[in-house]
Amino acid sequence: MTKEAEHAIQVKNLTKRYGDLLAVNDISFNVRGGEVFALLGPNGAGKTTTVEIIDTIRTPTSGNVTLLGMDVTKKKHDIVRRIGVLPQGFSSFDRITVRETLQYYSRLFCCMNTNIDELIELVDLKDKAKELYKTLSGGLKQRLGIAIALVNDPEVLFLDEPTTGLDPRARREVWQVLLGLKKKGKTVFLTTHYMEEAELLADMVAIISKGKVITMGSPEALIESNTNYLVLTLKPDDEKAVEIVRKMGYEPVLDSHKDITVRVEHTDDVQKILNAIKDAGVSLHSLDVRKPNLEEVFLKLTSAALRIDPDGEVVE
Amino acid sequence: MNPHVVGANLVVRIKSFYREKSTMFFMIAFPIILILVFGALFMNQDNMSFDLCVQDLDQTDSSAHLVKTLEIDGKFKIIKLDATISATQYAKDNKLNLILAIPKGYGWSFLQRTALNDTDASINLTYLYDPSSISVSMKMQILNSVFAGINQKMSGKPPFIQSAETSILARKYRFIEFFIPGIIAMSVMTLSLFGTVNVNTELRQKGVIRKLSTTPITRADWILSNILYQFILAVLSTMAMLLVSYAVFNVSLQINAWLPVFIALDVFAFVGVGMILTRFAKEAESAAAAANAISFPMMFLSGSFFPLEMMPGFMQTVARMLPLYYVNEGLRASMVFNDHMAALRYSAIIGVFAAAVFILGIIATKWEEGQ
Repeated sequence: MTKEAEHAIQVKNLTKRYGDLLAVNDISFNVRGGEVFALLGPNGAGKTTTVEIIDTIRTPTSGNVTLLGMDVTKKKHDIVRRIGVLPQGFSSFDRITVRETLQYYSRLFCCMNTNIDELIELVDLKDKAKELYKTLSGGLKQRLGIAIALVNDPEVLFLDEPTTGLDPRARREVWQVLLGLKKKGKTVFLTTHYMEEAELLADMVAIISKGKVITMGSPEALIESNTNYLVLTLKPDDEKAVEIVRKMGYEPVLDSHKDITVRVEHTDDVQKILNAIKDAGVSLHSLDVRKPNLEEVFLKLTSAALRIDPDGEVVE
Repeated sequence: MNPHVVGANLVVRIKSFYREKSTMFFMIAFPIILILVFGALFMNQDNMSFDLCVQDLDQTDSSAHLVKTLEIDGKFKIIKLDATISATQYAKDNKLNLILAIPKGYGWSFLQRTALNDTDASINLTYLYDPSSISVSMKMQILNSVFAGINQKMSGKPPFIQSAETSILARKYRFIEFFIPGIIAMSVMTLSLFGTVNVNTELRQKGVIRKLSTTPITRADWILSNILYQFILAVLSTMAMLLVSYAVFNVSLQINAWLPVFIALDVFAFVGVGMILTRFAKEAESAAAAANAISFPMMFLSGSFFPLEMMPGFMQTVARMLPLYYVNEGLRASMVFNDHMAALRYSAIIGVFAAAVFILGIIATKWEEGQ
């Protein structure tokens, strides 16, 4: 199999303008078949414009996008039959039940053999199958949206901010569904501004800021290549521990929960700090040492992507 | 065009409609209320009579005979006033716009003229009237014509000029029978126009259209299913209107194949107009306002409620440029006059318009998010 054939999605020099606004600025990337690809970025970064060009909702200003080997601007009719889309802010017909909604979308794809019960089970909506759409909570609506995106058993699934606006419990319920899809080997293109979501679900992450992809790789590789420190979190019984750590040359941060967070370069530094606190007669209620997460990488990279030009304007 | 897709849309729209009881009620009830209100208002127009207060101050056989004469052709229902009360005060107290006073001496003058052949004998009947009342002049005109008849009879010579009335219609029609086809045309128009505009702008704002654009459904499938759905509603609504018209007003209207043809053309035309409006209106509110701006003038100018002849000449020209005029006239031609050639002519005109706006509606429908 050639590299081109391996790629479910190929984006080359994609640009999208809305009048004077440059929403997507000459971006290129590939998504391999069977992987979960997350496009990560702050609000207004160009995530939705990018995904909506790839899934045929919008047309590009310039550049080439190939989906399953087909040009998205020329083969929309063939492409839509092979993909599933959960658009941002998904909504459906208010007075139609969960089951009827799935039957409706299944008929639009002329999929007579869609197993509606299996889909309902997959997104855990069995108890709600006879409920009208308008009576569902936000999380349940999103789960139904994912099930709709699966009615035609798509080769590529596009999920545009599937958990935005959901409470933590509903978000985790949606994640469970997406983890199930990942296990099944579906190619999933995900946009999100939740780092935890991308870290948990994605095989590959591209971080986009101001319409440009600023870095791309697996979550582990991004963390590895963009950070060289550990994060030590302590909960001492005496606040003088902050002063002790500062005198050792570190930069401790005390938060409102009286937790002290310190960035250290090696595990030896952790030992040194613990010894100094112990020698000063301060006890610890809790202790945590971890690697930096994707959120810290994201904040570092998106901050670096912005600079102030001589005229005082924020530019990339 | 995919029948599976059109069928799926149709099922969803009908279920949504069936589950929204208040919409269903008002959609069927509104035109029926219009028919009942206008029907009741104009029911007696073909056989109109007025109340008339008469104060007979003469109290003779001759004056009593005059009062009876006024009652004979049924134009007036006579209310007799006591001769002893003040007629002016009575009119003010009871808000009457006209009292006819027969003065004392009427009988004697009548006798002089008829028995004694005194051509100088005459009498003045008094109209006590409220000049601000709209209907009083009509009552006075009718009274004058009755008195002119009596005067002419007393002259002993037959009238030189007489009128002969011949209806150009095969039979006598009532106002309500002209009114019902207009109401059917008007309500099918509003149903199709507002149904299309409201649902499509709502679905677009909610993002449902965006989701649909990622499925194999085409713009033509979508519009065709809208038209079929609106046609079903229009047929239901028309059936309800006709049922009430037959039951309450005992109308005599022809129901033939032209009725579904004109309903279908009405739906086609105004779903197309609705699709075009939906494309250009950004919000649901502005789309509804645009639909109102189109439908209200059309309702009043195209002869749904009032005959075109009541309008000034230039407005009649405007009316003939409105598509609803041809639906009104087509329905009347088929249901009232049974004139198939006229119905064919009107259906051809509205058919061309419907085809044009349907094609424009497909072109205008914004399916993809575009540029």
